[in-house]
Order: sequence, then C-alpha cells, then structure tokens
Amino acid sequence: MTRRVWVWSAGIAALVVVMVLGVMVGAIPLSVHDVVAAIQGQGHPSTVAIVRDLRLPRVLLAGLVGVGLSMSGGALQGTLRNPLAEPYLLGVSGGAAVGAVLAMAMGISAPLLVTASAFAGAALATVLVAALARIVGGSGDTRLLLMSGVVVGAFANAAILVALAGAPPERLRGALWWMMGSAADASWGAVGRSAVAIGALGAVLLWRARELDVLALGTEPAAALGVDVDRAARRTFLVASWLAAATVAAAGLIGFIGLVVPNLARALGARQHRPMLLLSALYGAVLLIGADIAARTLRAPVELPLGALTALIGVPFFLLRLRKVVT
Amino acid sequence: MPARRQVVLTAALCLSVVAGACGAPSADRADGDRAGSDSGQVSANAPIAPADTDDFGVPLPIDARHAQRVVSLNPAATEIIFAIGADSLLVGRSRWDEFPKGVERIMPVGDGIRPSIETVLSVRPTLVILYATGDNRSAAEALTRAGVRVVALRADRIAGFYALTRRLGTALGAEARARVVVDSVRGTLERVRALTAPLTTHPTVVWPVWESPPMVIGGGSYMDELLTIAGARNVFHDDSTSSPSVSIEEIVRRAPEFIVTSADRVSVLQQAPTWRVLPAVRDGHFLRIDNVLTGRPSVMLGMAAVHLARLMHPSLADSLTDSLR
Repeated sequence: MTRRVWVWSAGIAALVVVMVLGVMVGAIPLSVHDVVAAIQGQGHPSTVAIVRDLRLPRVLLAGLVGVGLSMSGGALQGTLRNPLAEPYLLGVSGGAAVGAVLAMAMGISAPLLVTASAFAGAALATVLVAALARIVGGSGDTRLLLMSGVVVGAFANAAILVALAGAPPERLRGALWWMMGSAADASWGAVGRSAVAIGALGAVLLWRARELDVLALGTEPAAALGVDVDRAARRTFLVASWLAAATVAAAGLIGFIGLVVPNLARALGARQHRPMLLLSALYGAVLLIGADIAARTLRAPVELPLGALTALIGVPFFLLRLRKVVT
Repeated sequence: MPARRQVVLTAALCLSVVAGACGAPSADRADGDRAGSDSGQVSANAPIAPADTDDFGVPLPIDARHAQRVVSLNPAATEIIFAIGADSLLVGRSRWDEFPKGVERIMPVGDGIRPSIETVLSVRPTLVILYATGDNRSAAEALTRAGVRVVALRADRIAGFYALTRRLGTALGAEARARVVVDSVRGTLERVRALTAPLTTHPTVVWPVWESPPMVIGGGSYMDELLTIAGARNVFHDDSTSSPSVSIEEIVRRAPEFIVTSADRVSVLQQAPTWRVLPAVRDGHFLRIDNVLTGRPSVMLGMAAVHLARLMHPSLADSLTDSLR
C-alpha cells in the first residue's frame, strides 16, 4: 500500500517538475515567475506568445503522446502476453505513418484528414500483421506476431519511400522530419484533437482492462471463465492500434516508449492491467516530456528528432529485456 | 502562379539553396544542411576551389575540345551557359531547369541529383556539368568511366557565382563572354550597395525557406549577401551555414521586423499556429519577393539585388531604376 502511494506520488511530482521545466527551457530561458506571469497574460508580448502558443501546447502534446504510446504498448503486451510488444515494433505505427504520409504526398494538409488516413493505415497494418501470423502458423504464437510486425513495419517504410520518391521536394522534407517524430509543430488545435482521441481510446482500454487480466491467464483458462478470447483480443488489439495511430498523427513516429514504460510500471509493482495502464500513462507522459526537453536543449539551437532520442533509450532496453525473456 | 510552376521553382530553389532533398530521400537529407561540406554546406569563409579545378577537385578541361555535346544537370550552370552564348552546345538539361526562356527546347534528361546515368548517356554527351554535392560523386565516377568529361560545380555565394561563370567560360571556350557577364552582375551589385550604404535605417528581416521544421537563410548563402547589399539586416547573418534549421523561439528572440518570402507562402505562414507567434507574421509585415529573381545564384543576381532594395527601401525606387540604365 505504502509503496503504491510512493510510486504514484513520485510520478506526479516528476510530472509537475518536467511540465514546469518544459515551459521554462528554450531559446529564451524563463524563470518560474516569468512563466506564471505569461500564463496570466502579463509581461513582454513575445514572452507571453512563446509560453502560451509554443511551449504550453508543446509540453501538453508531448505528455498526451507519451500517455497514448504507453497505454497502447501496455494493452498490446497484455493482449499478446508478451512483454516485448509495442506499437512501433508491431508495425502499427508504421502503418499509421504510411496512411499519413500518403495523405501528405497527395497534398492533403487538413489535420483531421491526415489523422483519419493514419487511423486507416494503422487498422490495415493491424489486420495485415494478424493475417500474416495466422497464415504462417496461427495467431496464437506471439513470436510470429512480432515477426510479422517487423516485416509489416519494413514494408511500411518501403511504401513511404516509394510514395515520397515521386513527391515534390517541399513535401519531402516535412514528411521526413515527421517520420523521425517531433512535438515541434504543437498547436492548441493538435492538443485538443489528441486529447479527445487519446482520452477516449485510453478510456476504452481502461474499461476493458479486466478482460486483459483474464487473457493474461492463458487462452484456455480465459475461455473457461467465459471470455470470448478471440473477440476480446481482437478488440483490444484494434483499440490499442488506433491509440498508437492517434499519437502518430499528433507527433509522427516515436518508438520504444510503448515498450519501456509498461515494463517500468510492472517493475514498480502494478500487476493488474488497470493500475498498470494508469501508471504507464503517468510515467509515459513524464518520459516523453523529458525526452522532448532533451530534444530541444542537447544541441540547441538545433532541434533533435524526438523519435531518434527515444530509440536511443529504447533499443538497449529491448535487448536487455529480450535476454531476460529468453533466459 | 500555377502549381506546377511553383513545384519546379521550389525544386530549383532547393537545388541551389538546400543541398539534397530533390533526389531519392536519404538519411543525410534530414540534417545534411548542417553537416560538413560534403552533404552540401560550404561555410561563409570556405575557400572557393581554384579556377583550374572543379568543385570535386578535378582539373578543368582547358580547351573546349570536349565541349561539342554538353549536358548541364545544374540549373544555375544552364542559365549561365545561355548567358555566355554557349547554349548551342547543349544537348541535355535536368528536368528542373526553367531558366532562361528558351531552355525548354533543350532535351530534359532527368534529375540533377543522383541522375540516371543511362538517360544522360543516351544523348551521347562529351561533357556533363553536374551540381557538386556529395550525392553526385558516384554519378561523376560513372560518367568518367563511360568516357565522358565531367565538371562538377556549385555556387553558394556571390563570389562562387563569379568563379562558376569563369570556369564555365574556360570549359566551353567562352572566356570573353564569361568576363562580360561577371562584370555586368558585379557592376549592378556595386551600384545597389552604393545606394543603400548611406541609409541610416536597415530593416531587420528573416527569410524562411521552410515552414516545418523551420529553416531560414543563414550567413552562408548568397541570399544573405543580397539582403546586405539591398540594405537589410538578416537576423541569422551570424550563422555560417546557408539554411540552418532553427526553432521558432529563436526567431522570436531575434525579433525580425519583416518576413521575406514569396507571395504564395504568405498564407501558409499566416495559418501556421507556430509561425503566428511572431509579431511580424501576426501584423502582416511581409516583404513579398519574386522567386524567379532570387531563387538561384545565377545571372539574375544583380536584378535580384535591385528587386530586394526596392522592397526594403521604397524611397530608392527612382535611383534604383536609374542605376540599371
């Protein structure tokens, strides 16, 4: 009990710290006092604009994307009963990226249409991955599912490059930047859209978390307890994929957050899926806001791609975790 | 401006300003503009290759024997070839070449970066002029192996344009005409500079070349030199690269009074929530430039400086017109 209180308090404290830091740090360093004044609309107009229109939406968007990726990863790990599952490795994020880049290559720039296209791509990738795994040897084997995911992800990458090869250069640069993941384009509109999508889909996962607990027992015990295993797994898989698509539409491709955070939440003692997903949401927001601060400051004034930074953290973690799974 | 033309213009701009990004996508495109000279950056104080070699360090052909059938895959070079009266030698150009008028009668043979060697060879060139970027080294080797003389050239700054023109003159047997072109452009630039230098107010400007990620003209570009000659101060003049990626916050911090951009990008900037943070964008302080004049470091440099000076200092309009006579 006390441990849980500790874990939650530490997470909330860390979230407050990174959010405040995220608004203070940048080309123009601001004090806490400046930030509070700017939020109230006082101080130099350009400072007010930087705080209100650039940094606040950016911090919130990074936080929301962290929430979405972590919950998506946690749900996928539960559905597949595999601690190495995550939307990026399963090809889901890649599918969403294909959808979004195709929309951009066709000259569509309306955010809602790009998002819808990303959702369609993610859903298609999900179906493809599952179908591939089934053809090869039954979708029950999660290793096959992960392998299929990697293959579909590679295919998605190739499809993006083909789509971009014919696109005019001015779209190319934007799309490439977007494929590396970044919260730099954050606006209040994007924050609003992401909050609705990620909030709604995350709520569905929390509502269905009991099913994940039952699925975790294994296929036969779950069936014996009266759960329609296939349907439950399919539903969670689709919702988790859409959640990943919502993050891709908001900030591009950001890998490995969905892998690291749920494992961290479980290591911190969250055993059942509902508390694990909630804790993942909290720590995911902290981690991604922190990574975004690093992206802005490590090589300032140049910005680093956020997705590249998370991969630098995530790949060694994946290898360590893989060793543990194998042994 | 029709969409197609806009695309080609942008392509020409990116060929001349942003190294890479026109060919197949590759990892170094994303940040190549800040990397070393091989991926496309020549810093402001980088030495220009001596006049007897091209920008890959290969000795230039000193007589025009090789210049019977010339393919130019470098838009700036193509324009100069026309200006020095050597266009009758051209048998091929890149599909992005748009200038000058009359270039459309030359056969397009594909991209200027990572070109299709087979397509280029199909017009049986004896000399190919490439845009000198790391992405074109393999093409230079392949063409050389096929027995074609290759000259790789690039100009990022005004001095580079002079050197490029002189070297093209040497390679194509048109030295005298090349000298005339250089002197004429230099004369116009000097006259514009003389008019703007005594002025007391020099507007501060930022010249974006990309909205997302934000990229602006830095001190390593001929466009920065044009701004200075036209009597403006580029707020990113201290950056030695030609098109640095910067954050919107950094632009806000440097507080430019005006945004220099082509008319068709104004609405894009005004609709981007991040760019709207800039007071100059919100208040509509745009200086609308003509990309046809400013888009490449070529024979239009003099006209481009006049055009920019008119925008920066409307009071000079009459004396600028006189300076062209």
